[in-house]
Amino acid sequence: MAELSTLARPYAEAAFKRAKQTNSVAEWFDVLQFLSTVAQDQDLLAIVGNPGIGKDKIAKLVLDICQDNTHEEAKNLVKLLILNGKFVLLPKIFALYEEYKADDEGYVNVELYSAFPLTKAEQNKYGAMLEKQLHKKVNAVVTVDKSLLGGILAKAGDKVIDGSIRGQIHQLAKRL
Amino acid sequence: MQLNPSEISDLIKKKIENFDAHLEAHTEGTVVSVTDGIVRVHGLSEAMQGEMLEFPGGSYGMALNLERDSVGVVMLGAYQHISEGDTVKCTGRILEVPVGEALLGRVVDALGNPIDGKGAIETEVSSPIEKIAPGVIARQSVDQPVQLGLKAIDSMIPVGRGQRELIIGDRQTGKTAIAIDAIINQKGTGIKCIYVAIGQKRSSIANVVRKLEEHGAMEHTIIVVASASESAALQFIAPYTGCSMGEYFRDKGEDALIIYDDLTKQAWAYRQISLLLRRPPGREAYPGDVFYIHSRLLERAARINAVEVEKLTNGQVKGKTGSLTALPIIETQGGDVSAFVPTNVISITDGQIFLETGLFNSGIRPAVNAGLSVSRVGGAAQTKIIKKLGGGIRLDLAQFRELAAFAQFASDLDESTRKQIERGRRVTELMKQNQYAPMSVAEMSVSLYAANTGFLDDLDVKKVRDFEAALLSFMRAEESDLMAKINEKGDFSDEIKDGIHNAIERFIKTSSW
Repeated sequence: MAELSTLARPYAEAAFKRAKQTNSVAEWFDVLQFLSTVAQDQDLLAIVGNPGIGKDKIAKLVLDICQDNTHEEAKNLVKLLILNGKFVLLPKIFALYEEYKADDEGYVNVELYSAFPLTKAEQNKYGAMLEKQLHKKVNAVVTVDKSLLGGILAKAGDKVIDGSIRGQIHQLAKRL
Repeated sequence: MQLNPSEISDLIKKKIENFDAHLEAHTEGTVVSVTDGIVRVHGLSEAMQGEMLEFPGGSYGMALNLERDSVGVVMLGAYQHISEGDTVKCTGRILEVPVGEALLGRVVDALGNPIDGKGAIETEVSSPIEKIAPGVIARQSVDQPVQLGLKAIDSMIPVGRGQRELIIGDRQTGKTAIAIDAIINQKGTGIKCIYVAIGQKRSSIANVVRKLEEHGAMEHTIIVVASASESAALQFIAPYTGCSMGEYFRDKGEDALIIYDDLTKQAWAYRQISLLLRRPPGREAYPGDVFYIHSRLLERAARINAVEVEKLTNGQVKGKTGSLTALPIIETQGGDVSAFVPTNVISITDGQIFLETGLFNSGIRPAVNAGLSVSRVGGAAQTKIIKKLGGGIRLDLAQFRELAAFAQFASDLDESTRKQIERGRRVTELMKQNQYAPMSVAEMSVSLYAANTGFLDDLDVKKVRDFEAALLSFMRAEESDLMAKINEKGDFSDEIKDGIHNAIERFIKTSSW
């Protein structure tokens, strides 16, 4: 069974390319965010997944819900997803779209874990360090994690940069 | 002797002093599913093919299937403690194993960890298990012999240093026995041996180790074990591990001999892994690249020239060529050499030693079928004396085979046919050899000379081996100088020929058998 990301990728790529063409990246972002929230509603998912109801009926229902918050092309995307039975992928499509958008605008979302709360100055310092490492502007989200004992741990997608005390102790343990 | 506590703390202090805690950047992924030793990991976008991945609990896996958003990992070792959601880290290293002289005399598993209880192995060098074979320019043609110590093989199917000679036969035909005799015979020759046991019973492997220790052969041997109870991944990589260990000696300008026992089980292990990784099955359910797993392994057994050795050792070793000789073993089912994997490996190797159950059961051991066995290197890899004497043996046996059907009517035939049959019978009897009793070049030469010159023709067939045994002990006692001379140079000058001839005549006059 292929991964959800693999299934969602063509849709996300198509949406992003179209958004770039029509210069409406931010609008598409909002629309997809809205659709992603809608697609996580359990009752709606139950109806969409029901094989007894005709596909056009489902499409009409969903489009009614999304009436004012979507534009024409987004409505076409929704219809296509329902037709192919891939409506449930919308949250994944949104996540991938977000990545493409971030990549395009030259910034990356980073989760910063620290043992102690950081001051603004420290946050800026770490941000600058990470920017040098990742060669992109950094959009940091800070969380406090006591188990790190000290230092910071930065996660950007798959990449992890471990400057925490806990990480160093692990390295030492492996060495010994 | 007790360990001094201060010594231990000194050691630890030294290690801590040299510890450089640098900022560590790696890629991580999450476990999505764990089934039958195969783990599917989401993420790990920078994983390399064959990279070692670190799992919680200190387990390692090898990345084999690189897909769009996930990686298919085959676990090397225990995987029962891994659950969905665990974090997996890239190590940035392709799977590598320790290599070096410190491994000689040790028994290790497929990852290079010692399993003989003799303590840790201290090596400085690690080598990746997957390496590209030496290029065309780096090679030199094979012209030095590897003496296996078995008359049937060294006279008719000679093996050279850097050659790949396949040992193929049904179960219980003596394939491992040939391999062990080959290892025992390398004592004192400077050839390092590596025995890779794939998918075998641990009791068999224990027997092998014991026999090698008894004959003093362990000190120049490394044994790599991936027994039947170990995971398919370890059985799959064990031959490559052994090959890397052998390449260490080859690249230093030394000679090494590696035995893969056996490659059929490695193909089965690879088939299991590939099917679990959902790779499409082909003929006999083997994956499409089952030829490649053997060809890339056996291509690494080669002889490299002195220029290449100098390059690889950074100028330290000059004027010496290095070689790695491979003796892969394949087990056939029902004597079927035209099955998939046997035909693959036959086409890769430089010849085969074909063992038959029929010959084995009729008492001809080693059960070598001289007609179907071939060495594509041939005479170029024989000492002069064996080459001269071996030709006659080969001819006698070939003619005997032709007339084998008439052997039943021995009394009704003409003189020359009868003589050929009688000679063939005696040569066949002479080719039999006991296990764990490999012969030196001199001993072999004396036996073959006796056969060629007709000294055996007057003997009863049943007495041939007793005659040979008595003759050889006579030669060892009375003509040790001559024997040493033959062993040293391997020439067949007139002087040596006369020496042997006179010695045999003297033996016949004075001794009994």
